Amino acid sequence: MKIFEDLQTTAEIALVKNNLAEEIKELGADKLLQCNQCAKCAATCPLVLAGFPFFNKRIIQAILIGARETLLNDISIWACQSCNRCTDLCPRNVNPYEVILATRRMAVREYALPALAVEGIRSLYDVGHAVYLSESGNPRRKLGLPEKPPTTLSFSNALREVQAIMRKTVLADLGIIPMEESANF
Amino acid sequence: MKVGFFVGCNTAFNRPDLEKAVRYVFPALGIELDNLEGQSCCPTWGTMPSIDLVGWCALGARNYAIAEEKGVDMITVCSTCHGSLARTAYRMQTSPEVRNKVNELLKEVGREFRGTARIRHAVRYLYKEVGPDEITKLLKHRLDGLTVAIQPGCLSLWPKEVFIDKEEDTFHPKVLRELCEALGVSAPHYKQLLECCGMGGMRSTDMEKSFRLVERKMTSMKKEINPDLIVTGCSSCLIQFDTSQEFLQKKGRIYFEIPVLHYMQVLAICLGAEPKMVTGLSRTPVDNIIKRILQG
Repeated sequence: MKIFEDLQTTAEIALVKNNLAEEIKELGADKLLQCNQCAKCAATCPLVLAGFPFFNKRIIQAILIGARETLLNDISIWACQSCNRCTDLCPRNVNPYEVILATRRMAVREYALPALAVEGIRSLYDVGHAVYLSESGNPRRKLGLPEKPPTTLSFSNALREVQAIMRKTVLADLGIIPMEESANF
Repeated sequence: MKVGFFVGCNTAFNRPDLEKAVRYVFPALGIELDNLEGQSCCPTWGTMPSIDLVGWCALGARNYAIAEEKGVDMITVCSTCHGSLARTAYRMQTSPEVRNKVNELLKEVGREFRGTARIRHAVRYLYKEVGPDEITKLLKHRLDGLTVAIQPGCLSLWPKEVFIDKEEDTFHPKVLRELCEALGVSAPHYKQLLECCGMGGMRSTDMEKSFRLVERKMTSMKKEINPDLIVTGCSSCLIQFDTSQEFLQKKGRIYFEIPVLHYMQVLAICLGAEPKMVTGLSRTPVDNIIKRILQG
């Protein structure tokens, strides 16, 4: 187990040298420094199979050496499927998937997020659904379903609750999407 | 028995025929569905989870609060909703700090997360609460002699620790297979069975790379088990398999076509639903397989 202890130390040295690891920890990846780069997570990761340059193991490695710009300039973190195979397999309980989500949170604070993500967030705020197809009313009606599902789309009070919650989060400070008080639909 | 139907985004807007199937199957099995009026997006990974942990859990917890007020658990046919909501509850139960902050936010909109309602995957819910044997007894049509390729859906399996109705061994899942076998089919293993279909964040980030995964899966199942039908446990997998085949054929990357349905759609037909109403929005044709189901 000596080698694990050494690598743990490497991680700690990395922490002293850069504040990226500390920032990622605070954004939700509290077990980050338990990683010893064994790569079991990579062996099961769909990002690897699909050919993305960064995936769980390499993202953690980049964080530990403080390669902030490298991560910000690469799209891979946004392609994570959140499939959580790595969470189940990690022998050190690092929860690599949480690291990727925390890395996205870091990127969002640097305004390095894809346009499609902004669109999803905006749609979530405007109608309560990240994925929304305004033309879905007709196929729904043909199937004998109400044009709108019984969600925030049908209940304006419910949508206002969602919006009130979102306005109380860091999203309001970031100004990524317009967040007006009430919605008309 | 009564349970809340957490309908989510993709099912409600992309594949309302799947929503229709759920609304047919549950009452047909004697389970009443509650509408959970005012539910929102789970929220999905690319939105609040990628911005703020507390904000994510607050939107998820608000959905739980609606179910709690009604005294029901929630079911979903979407693995993303299942995963996001299960993880929300897990965080709330394991981190008092997050839970307190979330409940402060919820208080302002008159809600509270108490932790009494649970998110359950619709397929697993049926397995546990109804069971394959009981389902077999209620069938109006059987699928004897057919071979299906099953696709459980990543977030119906992993991470095991946050789910209520978990597989004994997530890398050797049996729930969807046994439920398919209850309809009379054979559902053999194929090498790529466990792999991801490529839908989700990957497809919105890089469609070409996402299609590599679905191509691998389809080639594997065609070569190894030559299925009559793909049966998914997840609405996202349904959409990926259904919408990618035409593209892959045009590009000459596959030279075959396999119809694909969510388990709830197949079960709905077997329980007597009008096929057009529960499968009408398929892009990859399902007419021939439905004819065979109706003969059985």
